[in-house]
Amino acid sequence: MNAGELGEVSREMSGAVDPDAGPTIEVLACGRDAAAVWDRATAGARDEHERDCLHCAAAIADARKLDAVVHRMATEPVQPPPSVMDRVMGAVLAELRPHDVLELDSPHGPALLSRPAAAAVLRHVVDGMDGMRARSCRIEQLGPATGDASRAGPVTVAMTVTARFGVDLASVTARVRQMIIAAGAQALGVAVRRVDIEVVDVFESGLDRGGPR
Amino acid sequence: MTGAAAGVRFHVGNAVVARVAAQCAHQVPGVLGLRADLAHALLGLAGSVLGPDLVQPATDGVTATVHGDRAEIALTVVTRIGVNCRDLARAVQQEVAAAVTAYTGLAVVVQVTIAEVRLD
Repeated sequence: MNAGELGEVSREMSGAVDPDAGPTIEVLACGRDAAAVWDRATAGARDEHERDCLHCAAAIADARKLDAVVHRMATEPVQPPPSVMDRVMGAVLAELRPHDVLELDSPHGPALLSRPAAAAVLRHVVDGMDGMRARSCRIEQLGPATGDASRAGPVTVAMTVTARFGVDLASVTARVRQMIIAAGAQALGVAVRRVDIEVVDVFESGLDRGGPR
Repeated sequence: MTGAAAGVRFHVGNAVVARVAAQCAHQVPGVLGLRADLAHALLGLAGSVLGPDLVQPATDGVTATVHGDRAEIALTVVTRIGVNCRDLARAVQQEVAAAVTAYTGLAVVVQVTIAEVRLD
């Protein structure tokens, strides 16, 4: 399509409305503007002609009927279709279910453990150790063990800790590692394949109680 | 949803399965309680807004769906530290499946989510 054709089309389209007629107004058979009649009737300010004219009266009656229908529909409580709940809940469940849980090994069906809950248990165990305070604890689950897809995979744990000033970091972190592996097996029931411990701070023994968390 | 026992056909709804499952899960050692998850909270909220006709009131912490002669149950439980989570989940699955099957005759798959481990 070239520029000439476009010009032709636009001229034709603008020709559909007569530019000299101005905005077209639907007048009633008696010559009054229906919109003006409705406005005056709503305001209760009908003039002599509008009170007597059949056409004006019919226009006002139509407007009242329409008004009544619109008001009735507006006050009706909105009734959502029954599928709305299903769709919303489906979306919510899809969003939540696979989220932030560890799989537990079970022959009886899906068994899941909240990841924040598991991390809280591991932090609690480390907090109970002398000279150690847990800070963050991140748990990642690896894919299922080789061969059997139904078995839950082992996890890796990355924990940041603070140590009391003066403790032997090498031995105490080794102890943290053992404690986490043991707690994984005994308290959670997951196999801990790898433990990364990062000592991010030390604290004075005087600040021990309450701890600089 | 219909079962046949001694010529009697009966119909078990989701709510029945959910209540049996909830009651049984409460009795498993190590379960401190059931936990309404976000879905239940939203359901409760939706029920109060949309009315009980549209939203069936749910048993907190349990979602049960009956398909034909099978039921799927999802339980969200709270336990305490010192209970082995994996063993607890297995125990809940076994006990609830056995109880619901005994009561309704449905074949049952139980999903257990441990939402919280109390540390005190």
